[in-house]
Parts: sequence; C-alpha cells; structure tokens
Amino acid sequence: MKINIYKILFFTVMITMMVSCEVEEFSDLNGPEVSAFEDEITRGDLQDLIGGILYSSRLRLGTYYDDCGVIGREYWRFSGSDPRFTTDLLGGGNSVLDNNTFYITGPWAARYRTVKNANLILGFFDTQDLSAQFSTSEIDATIGLLRTFIAYELLLNLNLTNDGGIRLDVADENNLGPFVSKSVALTGIRAILDAGAGNLGNGGGAFPFVLTSGFSGFDTPSSFLKANRAISARVAAYQGDASSVLNYLNSSFFSLNGSDLNTGIYYNFSEDQTDIINPLFISIGGTSAAQARIVQPLFITDAEGGDNRLDKVAQLSEPVTLDGLTGDYIVNRYLSNSDDIPIIRNEELILLYAEANITKNSAEAVIALNIIRNSAGLGDYSGATDTESLINEMLNQRRYSLYAEGHRWIDMRRYNKLDELPIDRPPNPEVPDDGDNVWIQFPIPLTENQ
Amino acid sequence: MKQKNSNHRILLFLLLILPCFVFAQNTLSGKVSDEKGDTVPFANVIEKGTSNGVTTDMEGNFTIEVPNLPVTLVFSSLGYTTVEQEVTSTSPITVTMPESTEALEEVVITGLATSIKRSNSANAIAMISAEELVGTTPPSTLEGALYGKFAGVVINANSGAPGGGISVKLRGVTSLQGNTQPLYIIDGIYIDNSSIAAGLNAVSAAAAGGSASNQDNPTNRIADINPEDIESISILKGASTAAIYGSRAAAGVIIITTKRGKAGETKFSFTQSTGWNSAINLLGLRNFTEQRVRDTFGDGTVADFVAARNQGRLIDYEDEVYGESGFISITNFNMSGGNENTRFYASVSHNNENGIVNNTGYEKTSLRLNFDHRATDFFKVAFSTNYVYSSTDRGFFNNDNSGTTIGISLVGTTPWLELFPNSDGVYPDNPVGASNALQTRDLVKNNETVNRIIMGGSANLNLYKNDNSNLELILRGGLDFYGQQSRAIFPKELQFQKPSNGGLNGVSIQGDTQNKNYNLSAFLVHNYNTGDDLNFRTQAGLTREYFNQNTVLITATGLVASETNVDQAANTGVDQTRFKQEDSGFFIQEEVNFQDKFIATLGVRGDKSSNNGDANKLLYHPKASLAVNLNKFDFWNQDSEWNQLKLRIAYGEAANFPPFGALFTSYNSFSSNGLLGISLIGIRGDENLKAERQKELEFGADVSFFNGLLNFEATYYIKTIEDLILLAALEPSTGFTQQYVNAGELRNKGIELTLNATPVITNDFQWNTGITFFKNKSEITKLNVEPFNIGAFGATLGTFRIEEGESATQIVGIGPNPGASGFQKWGDAEPDFQMAFTNYLTYKDFELSFLFQWKQGGDNVNLTTLLSDLNGTTHDYDDIDLDPAGVLGNGSYRLSQLGASAEVFVEDASYLRLRELGFYYTLPNKYLSEFLGGSIDQVKLGFSGTNLINIFDYNSFDPEVSNFGGNTPFTGVEVTPFPSSKRYLFHLTVKF
Repeated sequence: MKINIYKILFFTVMITMMVSCEVEEFSDLNGPEVSAFEDEITRGDLQDLIGGILYSSRLRLGTYYDDCGVIGREYWRFSGSDPRFTTDLLGGGNSVLDNNTFYITGPWAARYRTVKNANLILGFFDTQDLSAQFSTSEIDATIGLLRTFIAYELLLNLNLTNDGGIRLDVADENNLGPFVSKSVALTGIRAILDAGAGNLGNGGGAFPFVLTSGFSGFDTPSSFLKANRAISARVAAYQGDASSVLNYLNSSFFSLNGSDLNTGIYYNFSEDQTDIINPLFISIGGTSAAQARIVQPLFITDAEGGDNRLDKVAQLSEPVTLDGLTGDYIVNRYLSNSDDIPIIRNEELILLYAEANITKNSAEAVIALNIIRNSAGLGDYSGATDTESLINEMLNQRRYSLYAEGHRWIDMRRYNKLDELPIDRPPNPEVPDDGDNVWIQFPIPLTENQ
Repeated sequence: MKQKNSNHRILLFLLLILPCFVFAQNTLSGKVSDEKGDTVPFANVIEKGTSNGVTTDMEGNFTIEVPNLPVTLVFSSLGYTTVEQEVTSTSPITVTMPESTEALEEVVITGLATSIKRSNSANAIAMISAEELVGTTPPSTLEGALYGKFAGVVINANSGAPGGGISVKLRGVTSLQGNTQPLYIIDGIYIDNSSIAAGLNAVSAAAAGGSASNQDNPTNRIADINPEDIESISILKGASTAAIYGSRAAAGVIIITTKRGKAGETKFSFTQSTGWNSAINLLGLRNFTEQRVRDTFGDGTVADFVAARNQGRLIDYEDEVYGESGFISITNFNMSGGNENTRFYASVSHNNENGIVNNTGYEKTSLRLNFDHRATDFFKVAFSTNYVYSSTDRGFFNNDNSGTTIGISLVGTTPWLELFPNSDGVYPDNPVGASNALQTRDLVKNNETVNRIIMGGSANLNLYKNDNSNLELILRGGLDFYGQQSRAIFPKELQFQKPSNGGLNGVSIQGDTQNKNYNLSAFLVHNYNTGDDLNFRTQAGLTREYFNQNTVLITATGLVASETNVDQAANTGVDQTRFKQEDSGFFIQEEVNFQDKFIATLGVRGDKSSNNGDANKLLYHPKASLAVNLNKFDFWNQDSEWNQLKLRIAYGEAANFPPFGALFTSYNSFSSNGLLGISLIGIRGDENLKAERQKELEFGADVSFFNGLLNFEATYYIKTIEDLILLAALEPSTGFTQQYVNAGELRNKGIELTLNATPVITNDFQWNTGITFFKNKSEITKLNVEPFNIGAFGATLGTFRIEEGESATQIVGIGPNPGASGFQKWGDAEPDFQMAFTNYLTYKDFELSFLFQWKQGGDNVNLTTLLSDLNGTTHDYDDIDLDPAGVLGNGSYRLSQLGASAEVFVEDASYLRLRELGFYYTLPNKYLSEFLGGSIDQVKLGFSGTNLINIFDYNSFDPEVSNFGGNTPFTGVEVTPFPSSKRYLFHLTVKF
C-alpha cells in the first residue's frame, strides 16, 4: 500500500513538472486576425473583406444624418436617453458642440474605419503576387471600387468638419498625413475618385465579388464607374466647379427623366442579427418624446401647395414636446427597419445639373428644376430667373427632394445661407448666451490631437 | 527542472550547518498531542521562569534537561492553548494541548502552501473569521459581507439588483484596462469571477452611443460561494504579500478557507433566517402644479394632469415599481464530525431572496462536502466539493438608448399617466415614452442560471523527518466548472416590441457559457530548526493553471407566436466569445526566523502565460520581507504593559496580464443585407504587449498592550504599476479609435490604520471594538500617450481622464474655466478616506454587534437626475438651491448647465451607513436540558439588518452604484440603476 502511494505520488509529481514546461500560445479565438491576410488573400477572402466595407460604410450613419438633419433644421431628434441632440446640436442655451462627443466622434471614426478596411485590402494587393488568384482587370476593378469608397467616406467626414478639414492620407496608420484644408481635401477626394475611375475603366467585365442589392445596376466595373462619376459631380459642385459638374454628370448615370429619380446606389439594411437596421426609421407608433424625429414645422408650412414630397413626413395624433420643442409631424422618409438609404441617386443629379447650369445656361437650369417640380406634383417654376432667385429655387427643391438625406445643412452652408435657417428657441435677451445657434461645422475630434 | 536542483542545494546546505547542543542535568521526556490525538510537532517546551526550552519533534516528543525538580513546564504552540504542567518526577509526561479558539487570529495564510503566525508576519494581512464575516448578519452574497471589515479594501455594489454584482478593489486602482478584481482562491482552487453579459444590448442599445462597455449589469460569479461555509478569509492586498501568486496577483488575492470537520461527536447546526428587504431611499415625486405642468409639458398636458388629480389617481410610479418588500429566506444546515483519522464537514444551504421590484430575485442552493483523511502518520489527504445552483432574475435596468429599461422609462413617467393593465391584463402603451415600465417589469424576463461544481483536493506527504527537520510534499489540484445560462425574453406584446411601434416583434436572447478552470500544483516544504535560535523554512513549488471559457449568445428577434425558442423567430444571430489561457509557474521561498526576533523571507516566482505577448517567456516576481519583534529582545521589559512592538517591511512584485484579445488586431464578421463581411472593430491590439508590473513596498508597525486587549496596526504602502496597459485613444483617422499599449505608470500611496480593543471584560459583560481607517491616493506618474478621456459618457456629462500628474480616477468635463486640456476638473472617484467602526458586545446571553462604515469623498457622475430633469420629473425640480443666482429651480438649472458645464452632474458620493446590526439571545442551557434528552447544545435567536441607517447627500437612490459593472476602475457612473435595499432578518439557530 505505502509503496503504491509513493509510486502514485512520484508519478503525479513527474507529470506535473513535465506539463509545466510549456504553455500553449493561442491565436485570436474570436475573430480573424488582420495578419492572417498578409501573406495570401484568396477570392473568398476578398469577398469577405469587401463585405466588410459594405458593412462599415453604414456604421453610425444614423448619427451622421441626425447631425446634418438637426443642424440643417430639417427635423429635431428627440431622445430620452441622450439630451445632447436637443441641446448641443441645436446650440440650445450656452451649449456648444463638443469635440469628444458621439455626434462627431462616432461617424468620424466609422468613416475612417471603412477607409482603413479599404486601405488594408489595397495594402494586401500591394505586397502580394496575386496572379494566381485574380486577373489584372479584376485587381483594377477592385482598386477602383475601393478608391471610390475611400473618397466617398472622406467626403462625408469633410461635410462634418468643413473648414476644419480632414486627413486625406491615412494609408499608413503609423504615419498619418496632415489635416488639409477644405479646398485641398476636396481636390484630393476628387483626385482619388478620378484615379478610381481610371481603375474601373480598366476593370473588365465583372468584379471578383458580389455586392449588395443596393448596388444593383451598378455591380460591374463599367456601371459602378457611373456611380463614381456621380459622386465626383457632387464633389465638383461642392468645389463650385460648374463645368466639371456637367462633365462628370455626362459620364454618370444622370438622366433628365422625372420618372427616374431613384436610380442610384443605396445602403441596404436588414434585421439580421449581424446586420444593422435602418437607423433613421422610427414609426409613428414608436414615436414619443423619448424617441422621435420631429419635423421642423417650417418644412410643412413653407411647402408649396400640392407638393407630394410632403409624404416624407407623417402627422401624429398628438404633438410631442421635449426640451421646449413641440411638433406633430415625424420624419417618414424611411418606412421600415430594412428600408434603403440613398448614397447618391438621379434626383440629386438632376438638381446638380440645374445648379451647374444656373450660371452657365439658366434656361437649362429651369428645365431641370421643372422636371423636379413636375415630378413633385408642382407646376413649372414661375419666379425670377436671375442667379440669386434660381439658387434659392434650386436650394428649395433640394430641401424637399433630398429631405432627410443629409443635404440641407451642407447646401445652405455652401451658399452662406446658414443664417436663413430657423431658430426654434429664440434667445431671451435677459439671459446671456441664450437661444439656439446654427453651427457651421463640427470641431475636429479631440483624439485627432489637433 | 532547474528549480528542483536549487531546492536540493538549499536542503543540502541546511543539513550541513546543523549545529548541536548538549547539557547534562535531570532529563525529562514526554509527548505532546492535541485533543484529537494528533501529535503536536515544534511545540515550545519551556521551563517556566527561565529561558531554558526545547521544541517537540515531528512525533510530538521532547526531551528537556532541567536543573531541579519539581519544575513547571510551559507548553505553547501556534494554534493551541498554552498549557502549564508541574512535573515532579522524571517519568515520561503526556501533555494534551487543546486547540486554541483564537487560532485563527494567530495564523495568517500568505503562501501557497504555508501560513505564518500573525505576530511574525511582515505584512499587514487582513484576516477575518466566520464569526466576523457572517456572525452579525448573513449577507446576500459573499462580497457583501466584506464591507468595512478590512482596511484598504474598497467594495462597491454596482446596483441594488439581487444576487450580487459587487466589485472588490484592493489598495486603489491597480490597472486601467486589465483585471482589477482580486484573484479568489478557495481551499487552493482558483475561482472564476467572471461577469457574463446577457446580451441585453440588443434591446437596450446601451452601447450604441459609443460606450462599448458592458452595461448589462450581470452578476459576478463569486456570488455563488456560500458565505456560511467559510471558516476564514485572508486578503493579500498587494504585490508585497501576493508576489508568490505571480502574474494573476496584481489586483490582490482573496484566500478563502472553508470549514473542515472536527473529530469527536457529530455536531449539527441548523439556521433559519427570514426577513425582508426594502428600498433604502426612493426619491419621490416632483411636486406638480398646473403651472408647472404647463411650463414643462405644454398646455395639452394640463388637462390630463387636472383630470388625474381630480380623480385622485396621481400615481407614484417609482413607489409602484421600487416600493415592494422582497421576502428573504436563508436556510443553512451543516454537520461535522469524524474521528482521529477521518473528518468531514457537510452543509446544505438554500437562499431565496426576492428583490424590491416584482419579478426580480435570487435563489441559490449550495451543497458542500469537505473531507479529510489521515492515511498514515505521514500522509494525509483533504477534499472539498461544492455544488452550487443559482438563479437570478435581475430585471431590465441601467442605461439604454432606446427608452426601454425600467429605470429609463420611469424617469419619463409622470404621475397622471395610466399604465396599469386593464381587466383583461392588457397594458396600455405609454403615450409619452417608448415603454410602459409596469409592463416591462411584469413581462420581461432576465434570468441567469448557474450550475457550478468546485472541487479540490490536496495530499500532504511527510517525506522525511528527524529531530530538527522535516520535508513535506504537498500536491494540490482544483477544478472550477460551471455552466451559465442566461435567458432574456422580451415578449412581442411589450410596447417597444410591437412592430407598429418600430419594435422587433419580440426578442429572445439566450446565452450559454461553459467555464472550466483547473489548477495543479506541487510544493516541497522543508522545515529546519536549529534548536532555539534559528528556524528555516524552505518552499519550492510548481503551479499550473488552465482557463477556458466559451460563451455562445443567440439573439432571436421576430418571435413566432408566444414561442421563446430561438429557432422560432424571424431573425437569429449568434455570437461566440471564447477565452483560453494557460499559465505555468514555479516559486522558491526561504523563510528565516531567529528566535521570533527577526523573521525574514526571500522568494521569487517565475511565470509564463499564454496571455503574454511572448507566451513562453518567464516573468520573475521577487519578494522580500523582514519583521522585527522588538518585544522579543532581552532589553524589553517582559512585565511591561506593552506586549508587542513589531516593525515590518515588505517588498514584492506581481504582474497583471494583458486582457485577452489585446494581443491581436482582428476583424469581426458582420453582414450587409445577407452578404457576409469582415470589418475592423476599432481597437488595435499589440502582439508585443507586456504584462503590467506591480511593485509594492509596504512598511508598518504592530503594537499591542495589556495582554492583547489593545492592538494597533499601522501600514503605509507605495504601489507602483509599470508598463500600465492602456486602451489609449488613437487618432480615429487611423481606422482605429483605440489601441492597447504599455504606456504609463501609476502609483498608489496609502495608509491603513487598525485599532482593536477590548475596553471592558468582566464575567458578564464584554465589549470588543475596532476602528479601521484607510486612505489611498493614486496618481498617473507617467503617460507616454496623449492624455485621454475614458469611461462614462463624454465631457459634456463628466468623464474620467487619464493625464500625467493627476489622479487615475479624476473626473473632468466641460466648464467655464477649462485648463490647458480644454476640460475642467470636477471631481475624483477616489474617496478621501474610508473608516469602519465595529462593535461587539455581550452581556450574559445577549450579543449585540454593529458595524458603521463611512466613506468620505469620492465623486459619482449622476445621470439619473439629469434624465429625470429632461423629463421634468425630478423630485427636486422646483427647489431652488443650486442656482448661484437663486432664480432657476434645480431642474431648470441643471438643464441650463447641459452643454455648458458638467459640474452639476458630478456629485459627492460620501456616505455613512450602519452596514450591519445584529442582536442575538442564546437560550440558557437550563432550558435546553429538558428537550430531546438534552441533546440540544444551543438555541440562539436573533434579529439583524443590513444598511439600516444610510446617511448621504447624494441626489439619487444610493451613492454606491456603477453603470459599467465592477471590473473597471471607472465605477460610480449612475444611469437609472436598480435601487439598493436594506434588509431585516430574524434568525433561529439550533445546534445539536
């Protein structure tokens, strides 16, 4: 017996000591590591990586659109759990936009995350011999798509920080490029789009991956090129470069057809657990002071009679009040959790066409505006056709045509008309710093260390 | 294998220097044993009044030379009552030394395999017995019993939800991103203390605002341990003591010893405690008037208010939801017994506690069997087994971004709303909010169920012994295995689940976690005793730990009919989180004791871990300590009232591994309208990340007067954490918002004072009292990255900020006078100091004990008040005491500060509580002898309470709160938590 005990003990000690020598080194058990793609990227991998770009390009879009929609006085965002939509964003009282709060940090980081996702793929392409996996044109097609995404994501961030600028060159995370001014940024974004267009032009007949249904009709290199050119037209419009707008529109999917306003590319959403739902959808029943997008009342009262674009708002049975703001219409632009949100569509292109023509060919501008008006159930434009009047008419059509698509604030800013946006809570002269403000731009996020 | 050789060398050395002493006079010999018949080795045998003495050998035998007979011999040994025996002849003496009831206070457990006499310890080790732990009042969960009982130990409940969720932090902030919770070891078994989120974020969207942290407020798993089974708890507060535990010990170690059987008559004990709990502090309603309603809610609402008021149905929904009294029942039965060779302790306990909110509660059943067997004189084994079933219903609270949690919903619920169900049980929709709090309370189920088995065994083998030395081999193994199921069901009839309200048509979130930890260790302990001058104790050991946790969380939305089965749903999503770690280590320690005058220890631990950047690199953790008992020196007046003066100093190092996943930069998979994709998630890992290294120096003094009736301990420590792992902000334009880096240094300095006294002791009356005081100051002494904000909800509302030269838990925010950083400092979560005042009084058969705990200072970020203000429902909305101009009501004033200054949201969270109160009466024996043939040994009746008195100025339910759970230094952020409660219990204990 005793001898057995000794044997067992001795054996146990030996085993313990032997297993003590090495510990196993684990890789990440919960997700694929970036380094796993550095040596070899397969077709299947590329599909997943592109899928990631489609995913991350939608992250925090709700915040982006709320930023633009609330500051642009298209609607108010009520949230029982976050007061800053009605204080900071509207400039209520003495509140200001903070450089470390979700309304700027969230969308800003999400856009750059997509840029990083894309730059990583470009990096994998750069360092690998891909000839066994992909044809040259497939690689070109992919690079063209990635560049288009990068440029678009950068544009959205520039829309938020405006004169604060953005970082254009972020390919090397350890050696970021500097913040560049708005004009340099727009030039840079346009150059990236142009380079991408060149790649797409060499992109052959098909992408080596599939895209979501939001890109149907634009899911080959040559058709996606038209979407790229459409985005370029918007960038050129932001630059005030009317000739280029028209040139870009020419090679885009632009069509002066009032029944074809919705052709374009879209973000898709679904209720799948790993997906994102449409962040801009709140139903009438789901609306309360705790959760609502309430239409700024002037949107309804300013509308011309019979404008069928008022179907983008819906009336509540009772008004909703929060923080001194009361309204009884909700944003009804998006109709379900899985409704699409446009990236760019023909209605905008027609309006860009009108805008570019105001200074070049005002008759053509009026024709384009009338196409929009007619499709909205309105008669032809009958106002003055001087530049100022046409700009106002164009901005007004954009206000209704592109409602809750993130344009109003940027458009009014482009034409230095932010002071024409309504102030919902006027200042009490006896209280310092009282009343709402219309912000020109967001501060650069704190953590950019600018 | 290296360590084994060195141990042999030390052994050899020790054997060579063996000295020898011989005297020749009257030779007395004998044997010392305890009441169980076990021999008592190394007991001191001293000729009374002289310095002549010997110690017993391994068999308890001794031989002593005395000059004259008769003589009085004094037998003393650690853990035994000192015995004096007069000897008149040289015939062999047999001495029985009873085990000391004060043994626990005498010995403190510090090492992996050994303990040390408290009077010889070089550290301020806090240790409490079962009586101190649960004697006053039985806690709901283990950590709840630790409040105020240890200097330097900060305990914070995350919310008042039943079933735990308590964080324990030892001597300040020890890590910003790594583990901040101490390592729990029960009978040598490493115990998992995870908090596993139930996935409520799918409904609450709490993390959608950019705070990725877990706001589900789950239980932490140490709550499973039954406090009634605990014999003692010893807390190693920092690296100077815990270095021997190596890489997992940086946050300290809590060593728990469970009760073991005692030889003799089998003893039974039955305790039943029954009582109730209720909220300690509800806030009440805003005093609404027509004008106030009009001002806040608009003209349209006035009619509703007036109608409700006239019909007398203005309802206090806060009271409706939080005003319940929860029934509590704690039943405990244990038995112990055995003979000299085999002893056992078995217990069954059942807790059932309802929360102060309907449909919340905590139920636990625990079974334990501890078994000890001595196979031979030199070989003994011990086994512990514990099975725990626990089931916790925690309700749906804390932060959200969807207006759906009960807490968020309530702050927007005005008294004139009609939310009660109609006679068919149909709840009306809340017309002004996203959810009807009563409906949510009644229909949402959020349950965690755990089945857990904790088993451990040890074997002690005396390999070698002679008169002066012995060598013991100790083998230990432990297993902690549990399966946790979380079930969160949001039925489709909930207001916020109805598709017409934009809901998901029912959500069922089911999580399953399998956790398996096991640890193996082997130690060699060599004692060598030169006679009366020097004792050497050499230890060497190997340890090996394995951790494996796998959580699968299934979220189903769009439920079919009333099914909760996750496959009966329109959409399901699966999330798997795996965690694996392997650690391997060795240690060597040498303890030298010179006549109890100088006690020096030197040791080193070497560790490897799969969680290190370089898994197979050994990290070394040295330790050294010295205690000097000045009272043992010759110059000390032995008759002085001053019994002890010990000076001590200790130094040690420990590590804290990078959090799992910090080593990798990874994608995560997602989908876009059915198309799979992998995207970065914003956090950049670092494969070369190093473990955090903690270096702690502590020194202090222990003094004791009047035969131990007055004791005082003072300790000062400096604890530095180098290579601090930070989830530092990264320029978001990199594509990452945060990165793991070793980029800082954190220092904690603190002082701990403990006073224990027995001011009165007579036959009938005894009063024991204790006061502890402690204070810690943390400072970021080095930061190699840009200062950054962390925790909470951004600078507008108050946030934590890591900045060189500042406290690690400072709270900053926007403000009128920002510093260079653009922020103004508004507070600090760290308390100025904490104190506890314990008292234990007995008068004849009555016992009264109570414990006051005082936390002074330390700030919270209180967003409950803000959210109430935004909804115009705050209880103090119309009081005017905040506005310096004295114009605006508090609610309006706070709102006016939103976006301008975070000052009003940062509030002092000081409190003074009567933490525990117990009053017991033991029936005199004369009444018992007539029952059951006199076999009843004791009947005790009593009443006790927890948190019966709470004094604080904080403007919410309780200053003790944490929206982000416990495993973070950034606690004290409050967003509509589950209110905390006080408990009242009646007790009956019968021993037979």
